[in-house]
Amino acid sequence: MLNKYSPVSKDLLSFAIAILIALALGALVIMATGSNPLEAYSAALKSALGSNYRVLNTLCNTTVLIMTGLGCSVAFNAGIQNIGAEGQLYLGAFAAAIVGLAEGIPPVIHVILVLATAAGVGMLWALIPGVLRTRRGTDEVVVTLMMNYIAILLCSYFVNYPFRNRAVTWPETEMIQASAQLSHLHPLSRFNGTFFIALVCVAVIAFINRKTTVGYEWKMVGLNPRASAVAGIMPKHSMLTAMLVSGALAGLGGGMEVVGVRHRFMDAFSPGYGMTGILIALVAKNNPIGVALVAFVFALAKTGAAGMEMATNVPAELSEILLTLIVFVLCAQRSLRAAIGNTRSQHGQGRQAEQ
Amino acid sequence: MSGLAIAELLGATLRLATPVVLAATGGLVSFHAGILNVAMEGFMLVGAFTAVLLSYYAGAWMGVFGAIGICLVLSLLYALFVVDLKSDGFAIGFALNIFATGLTIYLVRIFGTDIFNSPQIQPITKIRMGAFGSVPILDAVFNNHSVTVWLTPILVVITSGLLYRTPFGAHLRASGEAPLALETAGVSARKMQYAASLICGGFCGLAGAHLSLGYLTQFIRDMTGGRGFMALAAILVGKGKPVRTALISLLFAVAEAASMRIQEYIPPQFALMLPYIVTVLTVAFMSDGKKTDSVGM
Repeated sequence: MLNKYSPVSKDLLSFAIAILIALALGALVIMATGSNPLEAYSAALKSALGSNYRVLNTLCNTTVLIMTGLGCSVAFNAGIQNIGAEGQLYLGAFAAAIVGLAEGIPPVIHVILVLATAAGVGMLWALIPGVLRTRRGTDEVVVTLMMNYIAILLCSYFVNYPFRNRAVTWPETEMIQASAQLSHLHPLSRFNGTFFIALVCVAVIAFINRKTTVGYEWKMVGLNPRASAVAGIMPKHSMLTAMLVSGALAGLGGGMEVVGVRHRFMDAFSPGYGMTGILIALVAKNNPIGVALVAFVFALAKTGAAGMEMATNVPAELSEILLTLIVFVLCAQRSLRAAIGNTRSQHGQGRQAEQ
Repeated sequence: MSGLAIAELLGATLRLATPVVLAATGGLVSFHAGILNVAMEGFMLVGAFTAVLLSYYAGAWMGVFGAIGICLVLSLLYALFVVDLKSDGFAIGFALNIFATGLTIYLVRIFGTDIFNSPQIQPITKIRMGAFGSVPILDAVFNNHSVTVWLTPILVVITSGLLYRTPFGAHLRASGEAPLALETAGVSARKMQYAASLICGGFCGLAGAHLSLGYLTQFIRDMTGGRGFMALAAILVGKGKPVRTALISLLFAVAEAASMRIQEYIPPQFALMLPYIVTVLTVAFMSDGKKTDSVGM
């Protein structure tokens, strides 16, 4: 009786409700600032989904968000709050561009090499807070956040001084070798093969979570580290591996953006992909397939917002406001659902006791 | 380095320490009530924004009180989620931070960027003490600070007294350490946690106002630059003790002031990294590693 609907369809329903409420609140914001919400939203929809190449662009923008969202979800799932995806992505992207500049490497091998480096560098950057957390008990929220600033500044130094392409005014590296590039699959869009790599990553993490001991241990440690220690799991070990995988995914995301989309590293590389990844993981409740879905919706909002800004006077930052509103509404819904669940189960227990 | 240069460094340290000390002092009140607030960064940012906007139209003090007011509203929202709805504080805090970034940039673009660096923005009153004016070194250290700089140590002492010398403080700390015992004693832990959140919000509002009307006289996107998390680091390292937490914040401010100075000598990126590196090292090697316990073994 109580479980008339499966948990997945309940989650999808609350996600849909949260989106609608966020859009309604966003409409109020748009009206309050003197524009027409219907016009703004239809301009957004048109620019994100209006034609084949626009859909492909939205999918292309989904790619990096899947990677940062997936990265955050792996760490959160194991109870370690890695909010350093932004920094891991920056260093991964920069390292990818440097390896991408190397000459004389055969095409496919070059791409693999670049992506492996990106993942490795992201992983190394996550190793520091991971070790501090598991060896010394240092709060990882503070450390990963501070390390974001350090990583962004470090990359900024590299691209402003030693690795700067002097031919252009904006600080950026030179274009990576053709052998390290994945070509755009549509003449009007930047959509490329990295999207499928992201989907493979989703499948791999989903497999690890559901079918392997490692995934089971991550989940147990995330739920209750002490109980899992009693059950023979080494919580520190699990947390550290989750942190490393998390960093590798974010770094790989940066590498994929270089290989598939921009073909170079530039200063101010990311408009907050890592931070958006945190929201994505939270909304998706750390479920990998959920991450892919939520990343798509978020990419839709961001891509649409850029088009909306061009067509109307509404600034694109509205998308950030909408996305955080979704999180607030979902948190409220989940709390209410939990509260209702509690009273129901109390009733149930009461009835059982009577019998 | 000459004596005057050191004096200037100390003066800058006081100005830079103010926002971090204020946020950390508010945050430690919340910390004692069992809420580790990760939204201080966002509160400060909204505070800084509001302060500049209101100062432009209605003067510095409207800006300061407006910033405090808006942060009280935000912290009420935060408490509603964390205390009453039992939401994950991390999720709500982060959503609030990103919300703050998005909202402030959105509104800057709606109101027009010119307002936010206009000469019409009125800064917080600066204090000059004539007695120090004649000695250049003392003048550099102690003069021309905003009122908020001198208000901060007073607020730290008041907070310390409030937490450790009053029944309200005892109840507030009990709401974090032993909420059930507090309820048994007939005091609502929920109300105490709300009070703590509001105090935290008010302090963050003042911190934000100092940042945009005291230290600078403008609003820049993401101008808090991680200071909310430095405050969090100071609380963790200072174990929530007001004076100790303030001193740790001061250490971060020394690093910030030094980073401004050394920009002439080394690439600016490395100079700007300094406060973040100092923060990481401080949390890593000066905090007691409480989190290890929760992991077991």
